Amino acid sequence: MKSQLTLCQRVTFNCLLWLGLSVFSANAATPSSLPASTSAPVYSQAEIKALGFDIAKSLRCPMSANQNLLDSQTKIANELKAEIFLQLEQGKRKSEIIDFMVARYGQQIRYMPTFAAGTFVLYLFPLGLLLLVFAWGFKQHQSTKTHKISNMDTHHD
Amino acid sequence: MAAEIGLLLLIIATVICLLIAVLPLLKNSSEPYTNALISLLIHLNTFALLGAMVILGYLFIANDFSVAYVANHSNTQLASVYKVAAVWGGHEGSMLFWITATALWSSFIVNQHKANSAFMRSLCAILAAIMCGFLLFLLFTSNPFARLLPNIPLEGRDLNPILQDIGLILHPPLLFIGYVGLTVCFAAAVAALLDTQANIQAHCRRIRPWAILTWVALTGGNAFGSWWAYNELGWGGWWFWDPVENASFIPWLVATAMMHALILSSKRDAFYASTLFTCLLGFAICLLGTFLVRSGVVQSVHAFAADPSRGVSILTLLLLFSAGGFTLFAYRAPSLFKPSCYSVYSKESLMMLGNLILLVAALSILLGTCYPLLYEVLTEQSISVGAPYFNSLFIPLLVLICLLMGAAPLVRWQQAQPKVLIPLALYAGLALGLAVLLNLITLPKLSGYFLCGSFSALWLCICIIAAVRQQYAHRAPSASRSQRFNGMCLAHLAVAVSILGATTVSHFEQDELLRMGPGQGKVVAGYTFVYEATEQVAYPSYSAIQAKIQVSDTKGQVFAYIYPQRQTFNTNGMQLSAAGIHRSLFGDIYISMGTPLSDSEYLVRISYKPLVNWIWIGALMMMVAGICLLRRPAIVGAARHTYSAGHRLGAPSVHNGGL
Repeated sequence: MKSQLTLCQRVTFNCLLWLGLSVFSANAATPSSLPASTSAPVYSQAEIKALGFDIAKSLRCPMSANQNLLDSQTKIANELKAEIFLQLEQGKRKSEIIDFMVARYGQQIRYMPTFAAGTFVLYLFPLGLLLLVFAWGFKQHQSTKTHKISNMDTHHD
Repeated sequence: MAAEIGLLLLIIATVICLLIAVLPLLKNSSEPYTNALISLLIHLNTFALLGAMVILGYLFIANDFSVAYVANHSNTQLASVYKVAAVWGGHEGSMLFWITATALWSSFIVNQHKANSAFMRSLCAILAAIMCGFLLFLLFTSNPFARLLPNIPLEGRDLNPILQDIGLILHPPLLFIGYVGLTVCFAAAVAALLDTQANIQAHCRRIRPWAILTWVALTGGNAFGSWWAYNELGWGGWWFWDPVENASFIPWLVATAMMHALILSSKRDAFYASTLFTCLLGFAICLLGTFLVRSGVVQSVHAFAADPSRGVSILTLLLLFSAGGFTLFAYRAPSLFKPSCYSVYSKESLMMLGNLILLVAALSILLGTCYPLLYEVLTEQSISVGAPYFNSLFIPLLVLICLLMGAAPLVRWQQAQPKVLIPLALYAGLALGLAVLLNLITLPKLSGYFLCGSFSALWLCICIIAAVRQQYAHRAPSASRSQRFNGMCLAHLAVAVSILGATTVSHFEQDELLRMGPGQGKVVAGYTFVYEATEQVAYPSYSAIQAKIQVSDTKGQVFAYIYPQRQTFNTNGMQLSAAGIHRSLFGDIYISMGTPLSDSEYLVRISYKPLVNWIWIGALMMMVAGICLLRRPAIVGAARHTYSAGHRLGAPSVHNGGL
């Protein structure tokens, strides 16, 4: 009974942790490190549209307060949108296009910061907090086990 | 003259607040006398502030442009309803609105509970101190009644055209009422910390309805804000994770945690430290949000009252109040901790975990919002933290929150056994299976976000059905208990509805960006769109070019005409694009008219947004659920009743956690 109980608890704990970790790592990986194959991809028209919109949504218009390229109506945003579609038609990858934009306009154009020396806190802080929460759950579990014994005593404030 | 009376009323209110704040310190005065005096002063203060609000409204109606605030936010051409709404359309007026609403709420509390206990006296004093701080801030840095003398403008500068919308009438007042609720909960938490520990559960019960009302108002504020941003072009759609949007969403997350923490504490006589901490945090976060929005340190499309000079004052208020609150908390916290004896699978633990994860989400979003600012200060380089980051942060956390939210109503108080996990695992498996199936049917490949969203919504629905079965299978619950239970189920179901709407519109929106002129057409999402003509139209406050676009369904039946506009305002020549939206329960057709590409052609964006309205329907359901929870007048009595019921449930042999 006792071993079954800890197993259940372990499994839930690990599942939750995995959930938290995996989504982050999946997203942190997308901007720069896609598997590099030598041949340039050839996209279908529908893929170009979907990818183009996706890229335009994840980049910031250099001229407006806080708008992505897709929504912004400024001249530069329209030019950059055209540039994205042009590069997609040339067979460029998403990461290559984003790198091109970053090289031209700086890190500020990227809405998804990379996992780097200056930005790792953004990724580790939520994970750290989440670990603390799970640690609390674990401690709670341990203390109830010991408390069942002390519960026999007269209760104390 | 009227403006001077308004100013005088503000000064009077400041003095009254100062008096209320120091009165409880006078130990010598006889108590009944002080109590009556506090009640009287609280009501007087409310009258003074209401008077000031009414005068400001009158100045707008009377077009008194000698008052700077009126001249900057109104115009003779402005419709009367917007003149009234303009009272809270700018910085000074919205601060006045915030203070007045605080005063009204404090009057309401005093009426309901009388100032006859130490708790009530300190609550009034703290509220008055906060109002006093705000009023001093208003008087010294942002006086709404300041005159423009001697150069009185003949015409006002007009309310920002973007703000001339039904959204301005609904969204800011609800949000401010929510902020006021957080203020009241903060003051109540401090008062509870000052009082003896024996009464702390009673205090939690007293704060609980205020917290629920706060949550209802914040839910409404956020939902209307999101709906407004969706209607307005260039605001990034229904949610963009803009710093200003986050500044209202973070308090909502904290208020949600606070509400659940108070329910937990008032039922279970435990977890006081975390509950009161959440109450303190709510107000601190809402002041921090105000600072971010009003000082102009963040770049946002929603910031309309940004001015760096105000930042320092708001920051001072923030530091003063939160330092006071948290210091008191640190001093009292050790005595609040109790050895807890709750199984990790018990309702208490799951609710507590849920609250903690809500706080993790709130703090992480706060960090993401402030990070560009911190980064720039430290490295003098700028970065952006936007929607893709926040989605990758919030969606996994949302799944965790939903897991706990579904499971908590199904497990028992206090002594749940690990075997409760068996039915829960079955439900989770069922939800996951359905989610994967849906994904494979509707999308070309597995999508993490889609799985997260559909799993959360399905899991919540399954768990709610199970909870309803469990609740009514056993025995007929008492009226108040069943009302609370129904409210809870409705609120949780509402979250599922909102998640469903958000997931669907994020994954199945169909979008076309194209060059269109008269006579051209396009098929999007099965609907045929034909650009018929470009028209010139004139309205009292603006003129516009509009496209007349005919929409027909698959059978060729014409069912709507949509008119996206490019507007030019008469008063200041400002140009705006207004989307044409055809709304329906299962999906909106959304057309916007962009820049002209040739003499007759425009860049037109046509979108079909399935289930987008469900996001706000869910929010409305949450509000209704919250109001259901509030409806009982004898809320304290009801709480006592549920408390005893909870105890019976907690007894080991009554029934088991599963089905």
